[in-house]
Amino acid sequence: MAASIKHQLFFPHPPAAVWEYLTNAELMDLWLMKNDFQPVAGHEFSFRTNPVPSLDFDGIVYCKVLEIEPFKKLSYSWKLGPGDGNINVDSVVRWELRPKDTGTELLLDHGGFAILENAGIFNAMNEGWLKNMHKIADRLNEKNHGTTNL
Amino acid sequence: MAQPTFDAFQVIADPSRRQMLMLLSKDSLTINSLAENFDMTRPAVSKHIKILYGAGFISIQDIGRERHCTLKQDGFNALHEWLRYFDQFWTSKLKNLEKLLNNKLPN
Repeated sequence: MAASIKHQLFFPHPPAAVWEYLTNAELMDLWLMKNDFQPVAGHEFSFRTNPVPSLDFDGIVYCKVLEIEPFKKLSYSWKLGPGDGNINVDSVVRWELRPKDTGTELLLDHGGFAILENAGIFNAMNEGWLKNMHKIADRLNEKNHGTTNL
Repeated sequence: MAQPTFDAFQVIADPSRRQMLMLLSKDSLTINSLAENFDMTRPAVSKHIKILYGAGFISIQDIGRERHCTLKQDGFNALHEWLRYFDQFWTSKLKNLEKLLNNKLPN
């Protein structure tokens, strides 16, 4: 899995209509979460949802508007934790709107997971595991002289 | 000596620990050969290794007089779980948005 979550959608509506739903707190509440968003760079706000205890998430996402370019671009920081003041996840959500002949293309990129992107560590890790898996497979093959499912 | 507990994200927030994991992703190493890559005291290296071990990022095996460190999957699973959670989160939220925009607004 990549260290960034990407989604792409198409809406048969002009960018201004889609933009409303990304930047009006009441409309955002209808599809995303309760929030006190304001379309102003530097504005600090939060989203509120149900806690996820298994992930040490208290249900509050702390955000700050990083970049806002009306009808085109919006990005905010996205931080959360267990509720004791610690932050477990420090990331960035980026929206991009592209006008098309018949509507708007909306791109979401949730990434910038500080620790994951550093030095491409995430990919290196995956390769490391893969290598370990192959090692295990090789050992099993040596022992069994048969095939494995790996 | 009591070690503070770290979650997966805190563990790899530290550059030295990230580098240790990078080195171990290439091959398993003894603590001694791992320490040679770092300009820090042996107790400092040990402390990092204990944290990596405690959070399930590595396993330690005694072979002869040497201690061997190997990457372990557990610690990384926590990170995967977060990514999986957010991926599902956005998939469902964007479905809401699609419904709202495409059903309620005229084209």
